[in-house]
This record gives sequence, C-alpha cells and structure tokens, in this order.
Amino acid sequence: MASELKGLGVGLTAAVGTVYVVKPAQPLPAWGKSTIGAEAEMERLKVAIAAVSKTLDDLGARSDSTTAEIFEAMKMWLDDDGLMEIADEHLQAGSDAAGAVGEAFNAFAAMFEGDAAFEERIADLQDLSRRVQAALAGISMGLELPQAGQLILVGEDFSPADTAQFTPAVVGVVTRAGGPTSHTAIICRARSIAAVVSVADAGSLKDGDSVLVDPVGDRVLVGGSLVDSTKPLEFADTDGEPLIPVRSNIGTAADAKVAAATKANGVGLFRTELLYLSANSQPSVDEQAASYAEVLAAAPAGPIVVRTIDAGSDKPVPFLNMPHEENPSLGVRGFRLIVEHRQFIVDQLVSLEAARQQTGREVWVMAPMIATVAEAAEFAELARSVGKFKVGIMIETPAISMQVDSLAGVVDFVSIGTNDLSQYLFAADRMNPALGALLNPWQPGLIRMLAKIGADGAAAGVSVGVCGESASDPAFAVVLAGLGITSVSASPSQVNVVTNALASVTAEDAKAVAKAALSGTDAASAKSAALAALAAAR
Amino acid sequence: MAIFTSEVEVLDPIGMHARPAGQIVKLVKESGLDVTFVIGEDQVKANSALRLMAAKVKTGEKFTVTIDGAADDATAAGIVAQIQEFLKG
Repeated sequence: MASELKGLGVGLTAAVGTVYVVKPAQPLPAWGKSTIGAEAEMERLKVAIAAVSKTLDDLGARSDSTTAEIFEAMKMWLDDDGLMEIADEHLQAGSDAAGAVGEAFNAFAAMFEGDAAFEERIADLQDLSRRVQAALAGISMGLELPQAGQLILVGEDFSPADTAQFTPAVVGVVTRAGGPTSHTAIICRARSIAAVVSVADAGSLKDGDSVLVDPVGDRVLVGGSLVDSTKPLEFADTDGEPLIPVRSNIGTAADAKVAAATKANGVGLFRTELLYLSANSQPSVDEQAASYAEVLAAAPAGPIVVRTIDAGSDKPVPFLNMPHEENPSLGVRGFRLIVEHRQFIVDQLVSLEAARQQTGREVWVMAPMIATVAEAAEFAELARSVGKFKVGIMIETPAISMQVDSLAGVVDFVSIGTNDLSQYLFAADRMNPALGALLNPWQPGLIRMLAKIGADGAAAGVSVGVCGESASDPAFAVVLAGLGITSVSASPSQVNVVTNALASVTAEDAKAVAKAALSGTDAASAKSAALAALAAAR
Repeated sequence: MAIFTSEVEVLDPIGMHARPAGQIVKLVKESGLDVTFVIGEDQVKANSALRLMAAKVKTGEKFTVTIDGAADDATAAGIVAQIQEFLKG
C-alpha cells in the first residue's frame, strides 16, 4: 500500500519521478591548527580553489552577461597573488587551509570596509571565502542537480538562488515549509512544475523513492503513478455569463494587453507600484498620466479598479525616503503614507483623473491598508474631490473587516486582499516559509471572515470584491460567490477557468458549496467538503 | 636597464574599482615585468587586484607607476599607456 503525505498543492500538473533530497547547507567546520604541515595545506587549498573556480565557470555560463562578469572577477580574486601571500603567512604560522584562506579573505574584506563602492565586493569576498572553505570540508554549496532524469526535489524550502539552479530534470518539488505564496510556489506555478508545499512529513522521503506529486489532491503518494493523480475539476468552456463578474489583476500595460485577450470583465486590481518602485525621482503628473492612460486604454472592457500606492519600508519607493522599520508589514505602508506624503497620493489621483478623461474609461480607485472608518472617509473625500471615480478601500486588516456595516454611505465598494488579510488575521508573516499552512485560503477562520464581510457589505449597500490569490482558484471562486462576494479578480492566466467555473453553477449551487466550505473545521476538511458539494452540483 | 617611472591619473568615475584592477593585473602578469604603484606613501605591487582595490584610489587622484625589467623604455611606456587606458573607465 502506497503511503500518502498531505500538503498544499500548487498548480494543476501532476508528476511522477525519483526523490532527490536537497540537504540544508551544513555549517562550515571551525578553523584549527594544521596537522599535515604548511606545504600539504597549500596543496589542499589549491585543489579547493580550482574546484570553486570551475563552479564559477559553470554558474557564469548559465547567467546573463552582467552576472557572468561578476563571476569572472570573482574567479580572478581566487587566484590573487595578494590573497595567496596572506594565506601562506597563516599557513606558515601553523593554520589549517580553511583558517588561512578565511583569514586572508577577511583581511581584504576589512580593507574594503567603509567605502560604499566596495560594499558589494565585500559580500562577494565573503561568498568566495565560504565556497572555498566548503570545498575544503567537502560540503556542497550548490544544488548541482543532474541535467537528465525525472527528479522530484525534496527540501525545506527553496530560495531564488536555488530555483535558478533547477535543471530540466526537475519535474516536481516537495517542500516541508513554504505556503501557497512562497517563492517556490510562485516559480513552480509559472514553470508548470508539479509542487506540493507545507508537507509536514517531507523528511520521511528518501533518495531514490519513486513518488507521485499530486497537487490537485494536495498530496504526495509514495509509489504512486500518474493514473492515481487527482483530476482537477474541469469546467467546460462556455460563453455563458459567470454568476458574478470575473476581472483581472494587472500591474503593467503589457499585463493589460494579456488580460484584454481573456474573458475578463474589466480589471479588479491594477497595482500601481511598478511605476514608482524603480524611479529615483517622482515622475511628474504628466508622466504619470501618460503611463496610466496607456494601461487604461489597453485594459479589458469593463471597469478598472486602481489601487493607490501600496509601498512600505520593505517595498520602498526610492524618492519617498522611507525610514527602516522593525516590522515593515505592520508599519507605515499603503494609505498610512498620507501623513508624510499627502501630495504624492494627491498627484497620483490627479494623474488618474487626467488619464480617465483622456481614455473615457470607467475608473474606480481604492486605497490599501485601511484600518478605520475615518481613514476610509478621508480617502473617499480626497478621491471624490479630485475626480469622477467610484471610490473604495482594500480590506486587509481584521479591524476594518469588523466595521464593513459602518462603511454604508462612506465608500462605493470594498475589495478584499486575501493574501494580506490572511497574514494579519492569522498573525502569520507571509515571508516566513514555516508559516505557509496558516495562509491557506481554505482555513475556516478566513472563510468565516469572508462570509461576514460579504453579508455586511450586502446589508450596507457596498459591493464586495476579492482580488487576492485565492480568487484565482476556480473552486474557491465559487465559494466566494456563495458567500455573497459580488465580483472576483484573478491573475490573467486564471481568468478564463474561473469564468467557466462561475458560469457552470447557479446561485443556489454556489450557496450550497459555500455552506459546505463553512462546515469544515480545518483547511483540508473545508476544501474537501466544498469540492464534494461542487461535484454534486454539476 | 634602469627602472622606468611614469605618472598616471584615475579618470574612472568610480575610482580604481574591480574591473580596471583586474585588467591591470592581467596585463602585468602577461608582461612578466615587475610593476609597482607608488600611491601616496605606499608601494603596492600590481600583481594583486585585491591589493589594488584595497588602495581605494579615487577619481582624479594620481600615482606613480614603476616598471623594472623592461627591454627598453618604449616597452615600459607602452605598458603605462595601457594602464592609463584602463583607468579611464
């Protein structure tokens, strides 16, 4: 009997392959005195340096030209006469090879200190130092994955440096930590690599095991084959109207064009940060208006919901000069920037109004990171004084979730960002891979809060949209419709499948599916109950 | 053959950083000559890019290049000219 490991599936593709366990980097051994003599230590050092040099060649061959140039320079430093002289002095004094080379790199790092132009070079030197010491100790620093085969990588979680080293042989990924919005999940979804994250028992998988990675079934099946994989619910392609409008999330004019080729009814979330995060000085109102007009003109037919700047000290806008904060996700971000940077938000709204007039599109504006009705009222008054917008707010904080009834007559709409609402509701940092399972949208605590927001919004005459990652899951979108949510916004790649799902059910069906989801006492039972109800309805 | 001495100026806007330092060391090693930079009161052998970078020579600063072992002045002057070229950024 095959054994089953539960986790959180990413994407719809299943894969079978051989387990390849990626061990966490071991700590480097402490430096010591040589027992083999300076000459033998120097030989060992040269072998280690040659090995690292070859690794840098391989990394350079797989990088863009700028990065390759850095690897080329690093190679030269490995072979540096000055470095070897200092290392040799330490060897002569009795150090082992690791200690000698470590001291030599530290000596240069110290000489480079206090000069902004060399800060990155210090990091490069320390990286080299670790690589050489690891080679001396026989510890692997990189993934060094085979190019051929059908590998299922198993590890704690994978960093951007790790995923950059994935070879075509990687057909599946299983991580013990990480959630649905972790770096690993995003990369695997984009590359259609089968993945199951938050697998508590991932440590029981052994090198060479043959396993099925079954993301739709939220599980890994040891000894399983593709015929065992859980089939995704399929929704026939239809021209029928979805139960509630399905909009698209976008960030750029290019996204807007992609979205316009889908069934999207307008844009449910236009993230405006991209225009500013890379700018060193504030773009003028004319420049901003031109950028917005380009996006508005390209967007799919329907209303376009624009979110005002959602920056914070973890996603800083260079020209706003944001001070360091202990807890950026709990700090001065989103609409809270209005205290220090009111003119910036005003300029953004003025630019949007100009773009609206120029393109004749229907524009809704909303502010992120709202915690009180007073903040909502302040934004609504400001936005209405600037342009002819429908005005709303994002719902991300538990505090404003409890006051949706008081928003009657204050705003026209609200839009729930389920990623941040989960983070704040569960007190679970989105960036902490160990907390991924708490950020599962099927968590009953989140579903019940969504139900309350939907009901309170309907009573208050405020329309309630959802623009978080959760709305890109077709089954969850049906749950949302059943909870009284009045529109959803999905990533462009998911708009059609979500639209098809919402066109295949009646309002009664959706209510039954939502009721089933609400019956769950944990994420797994909520999801399975909802899927069973959805299958029964069709 | 006497020691050849000449002055160069760092024109690169980021000073004598990784790229020019690397280019200079590669040139010096290929030439097989003994090249030393006299930077202020320090003498830095030009066979180590890390040492050249650690000298932190900034844009607009000048230093003296001394070359020992060249066959003739023209060869040495050619090396200095190339070093000056690398320091233009």
